[in-house]
Amino acid sequence: MEYLTAVLLPQLLHGLVFGAALGLLALGLTVIFGLLGVMNFAHGELYMLGAYAGIAVIGVTHSFWVALILAPLLVGALGALTEVATLRPLYRRQPLYGLILTFGLALVFREGARQVWGGDMRRILPPITGSTPLLGMTYPNYRLFLLAIASVLLVAIWLFFTKTRAGVVVRAAVQDAEMLDGLGVNVPRVFTLTFAGSAALAALAGLLLAPVFTVYPQMGVEMILLAFIVVILGGMGSLGGSVVAAFVIGIAQSLLTLWMNPQRVAIAIFGIMILVLIIRPRGFFGREGVLE
Amino acid sequence: MSSARSWPALVVLAALAALPLTPFMTKYYMLLGFDALLFGAVAMSLDLLMGYTGLVSFGHAAFFGLGAYATAVLLERGVLSLWLGLGFAVLVVGLYALIVAYFATTRRGIYFALLTLVFAEVVYTFFRYTQTFGGSDGIQGLPAPYLWPGLAIDTPARNYYLILAYLALAYAACRVLVGSHFGRVLVAIRENEDRARFLGYNVQRYKMGVCVISALLTGLGGALYPGRAAYATPDLMLWTVSGELIIMVMIGGLGTLVGPVIGGAFFIILQEKVSSYVDWYFIVIGLVLIAIVLFMPRGLFGLRRLLTLRPWRATA
Repeated sequence: MEYLTAVLLPQLLHGLVFGAALGLLALGLTVIFGLLGVMNFAHGELYMLGAYAGIAVIGVTHSFWVALILAPLLVGALGALTEVATLRPLYRRQPLYGLILTFGLALVFREGARQVWGGDMRRILPPITGSTPLLGMTYPNYRLFLLAIASVLLVAIWLFFTKTRAGVVVRAAVQDAEMLDGLGVNVPRVFTLTFAGSAALAALAGLLLAPVFTVYPQMGVEMILLAFIVVILGGMGSLGGSVVAAFVIGIAQSLLTLWMNPQRVAIAIFGIMILVLIIRPRGFFGREGVLE
Repeated sequence: MSSARSWPALVVLAALAALPLTPFMTKYYMLLGFDALLFGAVAMSLDLLMGYTGLVSFGHAAFFGLGAYATAVLLERGVLSLWLGLGFAVLVVGLYALIVAYFATTRRGIYFALLTLVFAEVVYTFFRYTQTFGGSDGIQGLPAPYLWPGLAIDTPARNYYLILAYLALAYAACRVLVGSHFGRVLVAIRENEDRARFLGYNVQRYKMGVCVISALLTGLGGALYPGRAAYATPDLMLWTVSGELIIMVMIGGLGTLVGPVIGGAFFIILQEKVSSYVDWYFIVIGLVLIAIVLFMPRGLFGLRRLLTLRPWRATA
């Protein structure tokens, strides 16, 4: 019982918190994957830019809450601009070109951030301090807030995709963009707005996690790999699958750290991914045969 | 390999061999030439997979890094013979490549790319955190290897000629391979995998074969790296390095042997030259990459046919 409340439960909560944030990141990735057939290598950099945009806004307004609204908007606008300028000409080309293009974008964003904000580690102070007694342990309030807001966002995104016309249009574009075009929908505009939304979500995840982690220009490089794993585990292009897989990976990672050093945890997670790719490449909920 | 087709390669080779005799080839340029030719050869090996067989490997940095660690571990322990280092690298890289190739070739498209990527990350994570191999610092301060006792590869000029020999041999090997029956089957697999299978070819075995060959050529290049740099670090295996290798192939052009060599050399020289003027050279490289994808999708020497137009759902 002691072990349960002192060790297992906090770690489980850590996993939930991290999983929820990872879910925000992976959702954007999987939607873009469904739309463009491309793994967006710049997604980790949009996540990183979210944290830096947050620092910039906090520097001006001294408010984390204003930053939480403005930073995703700024990064979303950057995403829209990027999509129109670079990805739009590639719609009818092989996915490989999109992959390489986003790799180039990632280089530009990463180095741009290092030039503007420097290469040092930065911290954002949690806007909510203190901790709450919970189930026989005490847990930091900010992490509880993070879990709450990320969960609310995930539900909101689910409602958007199932209950609104715009959400249905995006899902239709994921299924068959050509057909949607034939039905008279302005598909390029759908792509641009979706890319902007995906960028804003990544930025939001970056800013929300910034008080828990540290902020530095390479912070997206490791995170994006984890997000890839989540997307594959959930099934590429499957929205619900990504969220489930994000929680699975988040909880698995924080529970494994109880018994293994970080190196073994990382290798174990990679091992899970290799197994999934070999045995069931479509993941939990993916359609069979996609991209094979 | 007909002599009519091979003479331009020989002329280029002779020119590259004569280059150190010119007065402007200082030690700095000799080492820059080393890197340019080395990564050119590695990009050429990767193009066997990418351009000829249509398999995008996102894990070639691991083959390169394992080769580098193989010689570095021996050099650190006082085994200075280059041949032993190369032999050890072939063993280590070959074993690892067999495992990766066996599993990765069961999958196509982006799943192949991701499997190679994740396998490479396992290797990276292992070396990054294993203190026996220096952890994140890697193995530093290595002595120079020798060809035979008395002939150490300890000057920039000797390193340059060594890498030139490696490039020439690797090019000859690739040229023979591409022109052989084996190479033609690879192209058939790229063009239509199912048809190649229906014709009776064991497609997976051909893919595994080319994976291992490409990995070995890359690993041998990696094995020559510690002799020039005096170190091997886990950063050589980071997935972004694999991405840079893909960029080199794309700059040069998919589906040719000469293209990626030029692409690799261009990338290295661009990086070195831009970084000596500005601190933000990654922005320049990123922009060059974006410009190539947008405006010059064939690369410098690529095949037009590989750039096929497909509808939006290129994935279905």
